Amino acid sequence: MRLFKHSEKKRTIAGIVTVASLLLVVDVAFSAMAPARIAFPLDERAPGEFPDGWIHGSKSAMDNDDPPVQVHAYNEHTYILRENKAINYEGAFMYLFFGNEVAMLIDQGSTSSPALFPLREVVDELIDDWEARNGQKDIELIVANSHLHGDHYAAWNQFVDRPNTVMVGLTHEEVMAFWGIDNYPQQIVNFDLGGRELVVTGTPGHEGSELAIYDGWTDLLYTGDMFYRGRLYIEDWEAWATSIQKLRSIADQNPVVHLVNNHIEMTAEPGVDYPIGTTWQPNEPPMQMTLEMLDQAVEASFEIEEPGIYTYDDFLIYNQIPWGYTTDP
Amino acid sequence: MKLTKVICGLCLLFITTVAQAHLLNMTDLHLDTTNPDAVTLRVKIDLGQSLLSPEEYWRMVHMDASEQLENLEPVANKLLDGLGIFVNGVTATAHLENWTLEAASLEAIENPLSPQMAELTFNFGNLGLASSTALANASIEMRIAEWLEVPWPALLRIDSASRELPVSRLLTSNDRSSRSVPLSADSAQADSTFAGKLAAAFQGWIPGLSWMAIGFQHIIPWGLDHIVFVLGLFFLSTRLSTLFYQVSCFTVAHSLSLGLATLGMVSVPASIVEPLIAASIIFIAVDNLYSHVLARWRLVVVTLFGLLHGLGFASALSALMLPAENFYTALLMFNLGVEAGQIAVLILAFAAVGWLRSWTAYTERVARPATVTIAGVGTYWLLKRVIF
Repeated sequence: MRLFKHSEKKRTIAGIVTVASLLLVVDVAFSAMAPARIAFPLDERAPGEFPDGWIHGSKSAMDNDDPPVQVHAYNEHTYILRENKAINYEGAFMYLFFGNEVAMLIDQGSTSSPALFPLREVVDELIDDWEARNGQKDIELIVANSHLHGDHYAAWNQFVDRPNTVMVGLTHEEVMAFWGIDNYPQQIVNFDLGGRELVVTGTPGHEGSELAIYDGWTDLLYTGDMFYRGRLYIEDWEAWATSIQKLRSIADQNPVVHLVNNHIEMTAEPGVDYPIGTTWQPNEPPMQMTLEMLDQAVEASFEIEEPGIYTYDDFLIYNQIPWGYTTDP
Repeated sequence: MKLTKVICGLCLLFITTVAQAHLLNMTDLHLDTTNPDAVTLRVKIDLGQSLLSPEEYWRMVHMDASEQLENLEPVANKLLDGLGIFVNGVTATAHLENWTLEAASLEAIENPLSPQMAELTFNFGNLGLASSTALANASIEMRIAEWLEVPWPALLRIDSASRELPVSRLLTSNDRSSRSVPLSADSAQADSTFAGKLAAAFQGWIPGLSWMAIGFQHIIPWGLDHIVFVLGLFFLSTRLSTLFYQVSCFTVAHSLSLGLATLGMVSVPASIVEPLIAASIIFIAVDNLYSHVLARWRLVVVTLFGLLHGLGFASALSALMLPAENFYTALLMFNLGVEAGQIAVLILAFAAVGWLRSWTAYTERVARPATVTIAGVGTYWLLKRVIF
């Protein structure tokens, strides 16, 4: 194929330029129509708010007409959910983190029945709303767990047949494979949740597959059941002591603003907890905890040597108390 | 620090009415199929809150082993009947192999907040399957009978020698079936369509076929720039020998650089390789407009461009993690897949316009507009990869 004529050469160049220009115009138009990718910068803390008080059950569980799942938007991409204490006394908190094209649900509460506890329905609505607000659709949902105790995955089955959903699994091996942890609990891994960077590490002691998650965007440090305002049931003291010290070290290396977790069992009165199994907790203290409280737990980790129950203002340490006297599986 | 050592029993005094205490004593089921001759199901269950009264369970805890077996047998049989294990749809039979009954006190058994768990292990032998291969290809379902109430939910874990990871399923009073769980990960991924079954059958005969499929996909549909380059070679001339020489040089070269890059012997950043691939498309297309025969220097250039495209394949392959145990086979199969994709592109090109090659206006009406378009596409990619 030869180009002999000058005019033909010009036509050819015009043709090449036209094709390239058309493709560029189409490309730019598609890019302009696509929703902007949400930024989750690590250098500035995303603001967020906790509610003044959580829905905390009622004197008569039968007469309770609160929603089965309380939904609180900590900020536009972070939701904290709580199971109604009248449905299950655990009143477990669950977390829904959004990143670009992906959401992660951490924990699925203490009740299996969708009729009593329609967690899937609530999460689907939240995802639909979030997608509409952010111009995204068919985002993936990751169903994960802080640890493998039944009061944290009872509604897991509600998500099994959900399209576009990754079920992390309910065995230690499946969990570690998902997060990419091959040296539990020492390893610290970074997990990219659609541009939102999470730092994940093992924190056993309460349970042997427990994880702590630091969200660099909000500066929230999620501590699951190994540290919360309540009875800290510890099955392996050495592991828990190491884990709580590791949380301190994560807080030293990152600008942690709050420690968030799964339950409230302490009353607002220092050192006093609610009765075990109660479905009504009036005057609850906040769920979120402070770094000062973490320091107190770290101090305890160096001081406590014997099994027993140790009382602090904001938590109780149940160190290796026989299974029969614990309330958390 | 305020230190208060509380008598543990006092905790029980605080217990109030609990709507759903079952989560504390939920049932734990572990089906272990890793030994094909001795498949076991270990059941951890709060017997004193389910199949036995607290008093019966407490009495049983204090019996000697033979008395325990005698009293436990009806309960174990009921449990076994209710926890139906189905292998390829057929009920599997088992016997109670061993058990542990423990409890701190009668009060503890009576209290649903202080579960006292019994552990029963049932042995299913070889599940009625003749070989470990048959076991690996089997599917297992657990279906808890409607008449059996266990402390809910029940977490089922299935271990299999054919799977790297265990499988977990949660069974609840409303959702009593684990559904069919293939013991092999390959079967789990298998497609139920005819094409899927055919692919699975092929995969059984040639283990590396999946890597060949991945290689093919890196041309059709993911390797658009490689497709356009091959079409650039196609439109140089109507002579088949011209195409054959070019494609041969290109193939040998990209196979070489793909191998070297995958083995870590060559490394060029994608930020350099990708714009150069776009430039190679422009070069080939523009040369098509000026040449009508295959010059030797063009073969040298096509070979160099082949090296470049191989680096592009290697970059895509690096994200896939070739298996360490079958590294060379997987690499070879991936490369064969790329070649198959390349041949498929040429076959499609022949099907679309090849039959027009003897037409006198072919060059003017078909090859030239196609070549100009290829050059335009290459220019677009070059600009995008350099500027954007």
